[in-house]
Amino acid sequence: MNHEAFGLSTNLFAFLDWHGFFFLLFAGVACVAAVMVVLSDNVVRMALHLVLSLGATAGLFFLAGAEFVGAMQLMIYVGGTLVLLVFGVMLTAQTQLVALRTPAGDRVIAGILAASLLAVLVQAAFSIESWQKSGQGVATAPTATPLGMALVGVRVDQVEEENLVRPKSGYLLPFEIVSVHLLVVLVGAAYLARAKRRRVPRSVDLVASADSTKPMSSVAASSTLVAGGPK
Amino acid sequence: MTFVLCGVVSVSHYLVVGAVLFTCGVVCMALKRNALGVLMGIELVLNGANINFVAFGSEYLAGDGRSVLGLDGEVMALFVILLAAAEAAVALAITLNFYNNHATVDVDRADDLHG
Amino acid sequence: MAAAQLLPILLGIAWLIPLASFVAILFFGTRMGAHGKGAATVATSAIGASLFLSLVALVAWTMAGHPVPSPHHDEGHASVMKTDAGQSSGSVQPVAFRSPGLSDAEGSHVSGHEEHVSSISYSGDWYTLYASRSLRLSIGWYIDSLTVLMFVVVTFIATCIHIYAAGYMHDELHDVTDSEVQLATGEPLHREGRFHRFFQALSLFCFSMLGIVIAGNLAMVFIFWELVGICSWFLIGFYFERHSASTAANKAFIVNRVGDFGMLIGLMALWGGLGTLHFGDSVNSATDQVEPGLFELVRPAENHHEQQVPDGLVVFAAADQIEKMAAGNPSRSELRREVAAAVPGWREQGYGRWLLFVAGLGIFCGCVGKSAQVPLFVWLPDAMEGPTPVSALVHSATMVAAGVYLVGRFFPVLTPDVLLVIAYTGGVTLFIAATIAITATDIKRVLAYSTVSQLGYMMLALGVGGWVAGLFHLITHAFFKSLLFLCSGSVIHACHTNDMRKMGGLLKVMPYTAWTMLIGCLAIIGAGVPFVLGFSGYYSKDAILAQALLFSRTNPQHSVLYVAVAGGAFITAFYMFRLWFMTFAGSPRDQHVFEHAHESPRVMTAPLVALAVFAVVAGWALPGGLGVESLLEQSRPAGTAEAITTAGILGNITLPAEHESHVGAIHVTATLTAFLTALAGVLLAAAMYLKPLVSPVAVAHAARPIYTFLVHRWYVDELYNVLFVLPTLGVARFISAIDTQVIDRLINSLAWTARQIASVDAWFDRVVVDGIVNVAGSVTWKAGLELKRVQTGNLRQYVMFIVVGTVAIFVLATLLFRTSFAG
Repeated sequence: MNHEAFGLSTNLFAFLDWHGFFFLLFAGVACVAAVMVVLSDNVVRMALHLVLSLGATAGLFFLAGAEFVGAMQLMIYVGGTLVLLVFGVMLTAQTQLVALRTPAGDRVIAGILAASLLAVLVQAAFSIESWQKSGQGVATAPTATPLGMALVGVRVDQVEEENLVRPKSGYLLPFEIVSVHLLVVLVGAAYLARAKRRRVPRSVDLVASADSTKPMSSVAASSTLVAGGPK
Repeated sequence: MTFVLCGVVSVSHYLVVGAVLFTCGVVCMALKRNALGVLMGIELVLNGANINFVAFGSEYLAGDGRSVLGLDGEVMALFVILLAAAEAAVALAITLNFYNNHATVDVDRADDLHG
Repeated sequence: MAAAQLLPILLGIAWLIPLASFVAILFFGTRMGAHGKGAATVATSAIGASLFLSLVALVAWTMAGHPVPSPHHDEGHASVMKTDAGQSSGSVQPVAFRSPGLSDAEGSHVSGHEEHVSSISYSGDWYTLYASRSLRLSIGWYIDSLTVLMFVVVTFIATCIHIYAAGYMHDELHDVTDSEVQLATGEPLHREGRFHRFFQALSLFCFSMLGIVIAGNLAMVFIFWELVGICSWFLIGFYFERHSASTAANKAFIVNRVGDFGMLIGLMALWGGLGTLHFGDSVNSATDQVEPGLFELVRPAENHHEQQVPDGLVVFAAADQIEKMAAGNPSRSELRREVAAAVPGWREQGYGRWLLFVAGLGIFCGCVGKSAQVPLFVWLPDAMEGPTPVSALVHSATMVAAGVYLVGRFFPVLTPDVLLVIAYTGGVTLFIAATIAITATDIKRVLAYSTVSQLGYMMLALGVGGWVAGLFHLITHAFFKSLLFLCSGSVIHACHTNDMRKMGGLLKVMPYTAWTMLIGCLAIIGAGVPFVLGFSGYYSKDAILAQALLFSRTNPQHSVLYVAVAGGAFITAFYMFRLWFMTFAGSPRDQHVFEHAHESPRVMTAPLVALAVFAVVAGWALPGGLGVESLLEQSRPAGTAEAITTAGILGNITLPAEHESHVGAIHVTATLTAFLTALAGVLLAAAMYLKPLVSPVAVAHAARPIYTFLVHRWYVDELYNVLFVLPTLGVARFISAIDTQVIDRLINSLAWTARQIASVDAWFDRVVVDGIVNVAGSVTWKAGLELKRVQTGNLRQYVMFIVVGTVAIFVLATLLFRTSFAG
């Protein structure tokens, strides 16, 4: 699709580019929701806006032709991670904690910093000529199959000429590492977040008297919920 | 804006969206006193980075039909999503532990290791 | 021949047993019973075992069928010997001359020659320390009848002295309070007993002395020579806390070093010229060839054992002639041939004669030191500071005997000139020492000077050609002098004083000591019924007198030697009986001393009796030629049996043959002279000290200058003090002044300068270097304190910092690397 053919004067609707439209829609939703996350003080609202932002991002992924990644974005992020976050919100949802206010001075400083960071990033985004060329608009093949093959070690997208002689490696090893990593993380998270036994008062005294000379004693005394050890 | 609507979506536009999300995430981390808010900021930052990865890896967006990263971009995005999930799980566990010990999720109270 | 293999083994073991005892006591002495009491048993049994082995060796020697020379008083046979010294022995004695091809490096080797065998000796090496063509050091043996006899005498006397010392030294068995040593606090010294250490040193002493006796080469002699010296230093300085004892020990050691210096020169002259120090012929294990020893070189068999300057010394001395020959650039073998051809001519011209003279004189120098001859006799009287058993050992059989023994052993190499020097040295010594003994009042000092005097006799006898006479006297003297010393020790033990003026009348309380000492006195003066029977000294002294008389007959210009001998005999008799009368006869001079006197214990008197028996019989000639004299005669050095006239460096000297002194006229004259002089001496002593017919005080008063002169011992010590000690001290003081005034000041100023520089450096270090370091430290510390505040622990702040940093890096990168980003 040649953009030279469509001038400003052309009919907006007749020549409406749906791809550009949906890009604007998702980008707008993502950005606005992200800003709302920043601006809202209520943690529950923050979570809602975050869901919106991430979902819109998934739409952007679809638009960029990365349908598998977009699907994963929806499933893992929106469906998994955010549910986890919402659980966290609910577990800690005490009234005084739901809306913790930030000092105004910090807001101002953060605003200035954000503006400068944004300026830098946007400047960088437009600094390379080739990045500003729009795509050919050619529909691309679905990426799920190449991705799946790449994750088990075969790069079907690279099966060409010289690569047969010296093939590029796939992502089998990183995939395995990430999977083991996830497993470890889940075990660790379960360990950290498990239900704690209430501390026996006598041992508190013992620890307190034993550590009375150390500054840690205040921590120990104040935290009567510290685990005595594994069950 | 009209350029965009007229079908001239380019990598740079994606990068701008990513930049906005990234900045929002950073500000979120910098401003939120609630540990879960900080966590959400992190998610935003990772998402901003992910948009960049996908943009660079998309053949559809590439000006000359050959993307910068190719399939690598999408694979990286997948790994980032996975690691974000893992990170969220651990961070939530830490937050809960902190809450159990200090009865609060205010990160300003978590300064036992200050200099 | 069995004896050839047996004797080295027997005597070698006898030699090494005391060493084993020494080592044992050295390491386990303190554990041998209370205060090391068992050390006496160990040492005594060791030396006793040595004595037993030595006796076995003596028996083996006599059983081996060695030639029995004619008894000395048989004049008829003497003339036979004169004409053909080895006629009878040559047939009796099958000579086993080992061929070099036998390659028995350590095997024995009988030196002896086809025809003129007049002496039998065995020599060989036990162990070769180092061997090459020109240099060979080894532990070896040289055994003849002299060696065997000396072994018996040394071990016998040492055994007696060991037994005696076990009683004498009992004070050392517990802590000792030495009243002669005043500590700084004014109290007497209190120290631990050193019983075991005494016997340890005694064992080493015996080992060293036996080493000298058995030594097969001069290097080995020198080693044990020095060992004897250091042992004497240990023993004389046994009471080293006493100033006098430590001084005496040092004196003995230093004076001996003076003599040893001469000995070293002699050794160098011999080695440089001849390349060997072995006495007898020996097999060189490096080349498997029989090398001629010193004796063979100086008295070669083809020259009928007549003394001649060895080729080596001639060549050594004729270096200038050889240089002249070599000037014509002949080939090496040619030159060698020419030199060999020229050697007899050079010898005629007298090349090398001086060298041989110097070598002999050098060796004799060592003997002068060891045997306390003039001028190095001053150490011996001072050596009385040691315990009495030590004095007995040092003065009879060991240390002083070593010098005489070496002269006797080395006799074939000594030229008539050297012998004349020896004779005069001996004569002067015997006279000076005898006169000093007259006025001495310390009982041990009298005996000490008598020893010096008797050693002079021996030297004189050797010097005038009386090889047998000198060594005979050495052996008999060993018996009666050790007896006398042990008796005096017994007296001192009883009276707790050395001063004869406090003694007297001890005959009643100490009968054993008194009578044995009388035997000793009679032996030393040579008492006996003329021509019938006598004490041991009678025979040996007679032999010396006869030889001296013969010598003065043949060399009238040297007849003063005979006068010295005869006069010495008179003085000896006088002072010995003066000693005996003052000590034992008459009435007690000091009642206190007399009342505390008592006879010594059995362990001390038993050795006295044993020694007394030998003092009587040692000189007797047993049937079958078993007397000491005839045994010695078997080993007479080859070629010395006949009279020789030489035109030496010191004029014409005729060295008379010893057997000629047994000729009637000479013999009778000598015997009568000896008898009459001794009798006169005894009578004079009796007149002065037994029956006060002549007052000693009056005599002293009448001859005051002489008396003072003698009391001050000829002012020898004073003379040496002025001649050597004071100049040495002066030089030392001068050098010490240089040291303190010049060198010390220089060093002090250097040190002062260094100090100043160092203080400046220290200031710089403190202020600048430390300052910089401290400033750096404090800046770091303060910066750390300040920076600590950055670590607020506030998470949000950190995030902001990160953002600031990121933006800053971006901005900087954009500004600095714009081109690269743009590209």
